[in-house]
Amino acid sequence: MLDTALNRRESRIDWPLWLAVGLLALIGSAFIHSVTADTDSAAGLPWWRYRSVGHLIAFVVGMMFVGGLCLVDYGRIARWALVGYWITIPMLLGVFLLPPVNGAQRWVKLGPANFQPSELAKLTFLFAMASFLARPIEELRRIENILKGLGLALLPCILILKEPDLGSSLVFMPMALTMMLVAGVPRKLLSRIVGFGLLVTSLALVDVLLAPPGWKFIKLQEYQRRRLLVFFNVSDPSPPGSSPEMRRQNRLLMRDTAVNVDQAMISIGSGGLTGKGWRQGTQHSLGFLPRLGAHNDFIFSVIAEEEGFLGSVTIIFLYAVVLFRGIRIAGEARDRLGRLLAAGVVTLLFTHIFVNIGMNIRLMPVTGIPLPLLSAGGTSVLCSLVAIGILQNIHLYRRHY
Amino acid sequence: MIVFEQLNKGDHSLRALAWGVLLGLLLMMGQLWRVQVMSADRYRASLQTQSFKSVRVPALRGRILDRNRRELVGNTPRYRLDLYLDELRPQFEAEYLREKREFVAARRKAMGDSSSGGWVLEFWNHLRHRSKTVRLTSVDLEMLQRQSRYTVVSNTVAAVGSRLGTRLVLSEEALHSHYLNRRFLPLSILPDCNPTQVAQITEQIWAIPGVALEQVAVRSYRYGSLAAHVLGHLKRDDNPDEDREEITYHYRLPDFVGAIGLEKSLDAELRGTAGTKAIQVNSQGYRHHQSEELLTPPQPGRNVVTTLDLNLQSAVEKALNTVKGGDERGAAIVLDPLNGDILAMASAPSFDPTEFLSPITTTRWESFHNKEPERPMFSRATYGEYAPGSTFKVIHALAQLENGLDPNEIFTVRANPADPGHGVYYVGNHPIGDRAPPGEYDFRRALIKSSNSYFIHYGLHMGWDRLLSMGRQFGLGEKTGIGIGEEATGFFPATEDIPRLGYRQGDLANICIGQEITVTPLQMAVAIGAIANGGQVFYPRLVHRIEPYDLFSDGAPERVLAGQVRGEVRLPHRYYELVRAAMRDDVLDDEGTGKAARLPDFAVCGKTGTAEIKGNGRKDKVTWFVSFAPYEAPRYVVVVMIESGGSGGGTCAPVAKLIYRYLRDAETGQTKGLAGG
Repeated sequence: MLDTALNRRESRIDWPLWLAVGLLALIGSAFIHSVTADTDSAAGLPWWRYRSVGHLIAFVVGMMFVGGLCLVDYGRIARWALVGYWITIPMLLGVFLLPPVNGAQRWVKLGPANFQPSELAKLTFLFAMASFLARPIEELRRIENILKGLGLALLPCILILKEPDLGSSLVFMPMALTMMLVAGVPRKLLSRIVGFGLLVTSLALVDVLLAPPGWKFIKLQEYQRRRLLVFFNVSDPSPPGSSPEMRRQNRLLMRDTAVNVDQAMISIGSGGLTGKGWRQGTQHSLGFLPRLGAHNDFIFSVIAEEEGFLGSVTIIFLYAVVLFRGIRIAGEARDRLGRLLAAGVVTLLFTHIFVNIGMNIRLMPVTGIPLPLLSAGGTSVLCSLVAIGILQNIHLYRRHY
Repeated sequence: MIVFEQLNKGDHSLRALAWGVLLGLLLMMGQLWRVQVMSADRYRASLQTQSFKSVRVPALRGRILDRNRRELVGNTPRYRLDLYLDELRPQFEAEYLREKREFVAARRKAMGDSSSGGWVLEFWNHLRHRSKTVRLTSVDLEMLQRQSRYTVVSNTVAAVGSRLGTRLVLSEEALHSHYLNRRFLPLSILPDCNPTQVAQITEQIWAIPGVALEQVAVRSYRYGSLAAHVLGHLKRDDNPDEDREEITYHYRLPDFVGAIGLEKSLDAELRGTAGTKAIQVNSQGYRHHQSEELLTPPQPGRNVVTTLDLNLQSAVEKALNTVKGGDERGAAIVLDPLNGDILAMASAPSFDPTEFLSPITTTRWESFHNKEPERPMFSRATYGEYAPGSTFKVIHALAQLENGLDPNEIFTVRANPADPGHGVYYVGNHPIGDRAPPGEYDFRRALIKSSNSYFIHYGLHMGWDRLLSMGRQFGLGEKTGIGIGEEATGFFPATEDIPRLGYRQGDLANICIGQEITVTPLQMAVAIGAIANGGQVFYPRLVHRIEPYDLFSDGAPERVLAGQVRGEVRLPHRYYELVRAAMRDDVLDDEGTGKAARLPDFAVCGKTGTAEIKGNGRKDKVTWFVSFAPYEAPRYVVVVMIESGGSGGGTCAPVAKLIYRYLRDAETGQTKGLAGG
């Protein structure tokens, strides 16, 4: 009796997970401060409107959300999954009716904060996909169910791609595939899907990168295409037979596009083993890192410059704690729904981490995607916390009581 | 790994997920190791090059002092008004936005925008991204930025100008070129502020952002044209010792290098070592938060203490100017025969080295260098080659004595049939006229009356060899090695050159009396010095020592450059005594040609010379007075040379007299300058 009570008491909250999460949020706030404190104080903002403080406020609000979330068993939440999904889809469409911000239509003005429906879409998709795949395993052998599942992922994926927000749209396919794998969709079928997907992707890449202007079937934004070209180290994308003036213009454009990646690499590389010290990094203060990105999409460059290799490894270690606790929670879940949800959350977080850090260190092309818990941006912090809250929820209700 | 063990044994799919995550994390760590640890140095280097601009800061140039450490050339502060563009950036931004709005509005009007589509159509267009937007090309944006920069900067400059009560104008091109090449540096808007302006600026400066008063050192030749040929002048040098530098500078602050004179020959000592300033710049190339760091401070150059005496030099120049009131062309040198020190050396006409610090017009430059016959840049004392005329007879006389001439032997000069008052000498059938009267001459009288006949007679008898080797032993035909670049060798052949030159008796006769050969005034001064001191031929010494810029700093120790003997003309002492006595009598004897240099209580010994030269189709004269004093213990050599003078005794000896009077008075402590100068 005593034994069980202790056991239950000890394991209700996943302490290592929340310790790592809290540290990440604090680190995030500290380095957002490093980047934005000067501008914020120059703008004469009161301390509570500093972006570093805003980050902490978003964290606290997020933790309240998590608290609320844990009051209800995830199984009961999942009943509303499809409703949530079909509410999000019109919201994604609605973005197009609003004026663009920074050349893209991702944000909805919502009181003091800008709200990104694409972030919400990741969560509602997670629930929808999990409850769809939670059906009896026999049904998952049927090809139409597989296609339905893929369709569930493709719909928000394509809408977000149109915003345009390549980074966020990239998240859906890995989530769908991982969850299918965990749900027990036959491996043969999955590998075929993956194979087909890879084929389509490489064809698409060939089309985007190499095809002459008349043969472009995939309409990417010009800047997205250039980012891909930068990643594949193409410095002169002019088609054969173009005039020297055009070639010059193209090369200039390519150089401008490459600047962000090159500068991120210089930031990270110049940090060396131990870094330059907090608030001592020069790349963001001198404006070599993008002004709008240093505190969100390129926050990792700042941390790596100021804290060096040791700092970046610490960050990766903290993420590893979160991710592996998540996988463990998936393993302990009381049912397939919980297992699927946890695996989905882990994939969601991992994709964000890998794509964001990968773009900073040139493992991935540049796409705008936030680094969970570190990047400034209320919606991102909130959604990351809710996602981790789902893990906690699954952990909390891992037994039938 | 703990995570993996704790997973259900049969849970293949979760294990696959865990492996995938682990692989991804390791991949990132591997890449981070590569970037941050293995290539850190490379990235640090690129960080340095992109965020710092190195600027070469020239050193303070060493001063040039006279022998009593009085400053001949120094540095004075000048106040320059600078404008820092980085502090105007908020204004640039605001102005740019304003001009862009206007531009877009104008463009839209030109496109004929009639918003008559109604709101439904507008909304539909908005949905389809077809709202009528004015597309601005990068060329447009560039133009707008350039324009707005100029608006802001020229307004600021005009505002500063109106406060200072002067009209300041800045051209668009000047600003653009500054912006393109060195926007991390301030833009100079008023290069030389007068004291009133400096006062005004220091009072009002706070109101205008970006404006700063900068103090710069400017070379100052405080006595203007005094000793200008010796001191030299500077010229702009935009790529100083580029090949020797380890750093490739982004910008070099204006620097100067010596062009002539000591400024040039001792440039390496005077220049010092340039320093490096690192200016942190942001990604737009502007200076970042006023952060400038002197990486290596410039090391000031070393001072050059010359052997010149400031007061004597100005006395000499004044004396020289008495000849034609400043229009004369000539040179005067005062040398210490005991060690070869140049106490004063002047060439006339002269120039003001200050003029070369700022850009100089072509016509002005031409008038300095090529205007005949003045050529003010021409250092006549060291670079001018003139026939020594009769002054050469003192050297010839020593050769005669060495050849065994009996100084008491009488030679009778015949009267010139065409000019009975003067003598004549026939070389073969060719008569050579003489300015001395006919009559009986011994050695002493021949020298003081400067008899050509006497010296030609004995010279022809003696032959080439002794005459030429004596001249060469006194340093004729070779540079004296004074240590400034503008020095000529003169023309004085050696014996072995004679067959090649095809010289005959007539040429020997001419050389005997100082024609057909050329010397520089400085060569004459050195030779006379050797006669005065009994045969020691010195290297003339112009630099006394080289010392650190600041005597109280612990720089390299001062260097003393001692006087050096170049050679010795070994002759019996009485030969020199005979020549010296004759030179004394040339001044003292009423019959002497140099009596215009006579000075009570100060036994000046001299020899006059008037050489006839044929140049530009007309006859001209070079007049000389070479001398030393006092007879009993020679301390000074004075050589005066005037182009187109009347005669050595009439034109040059009075100049020498003025100089000696100054020297005598200075010794007795009653320097009143030059009476009647």
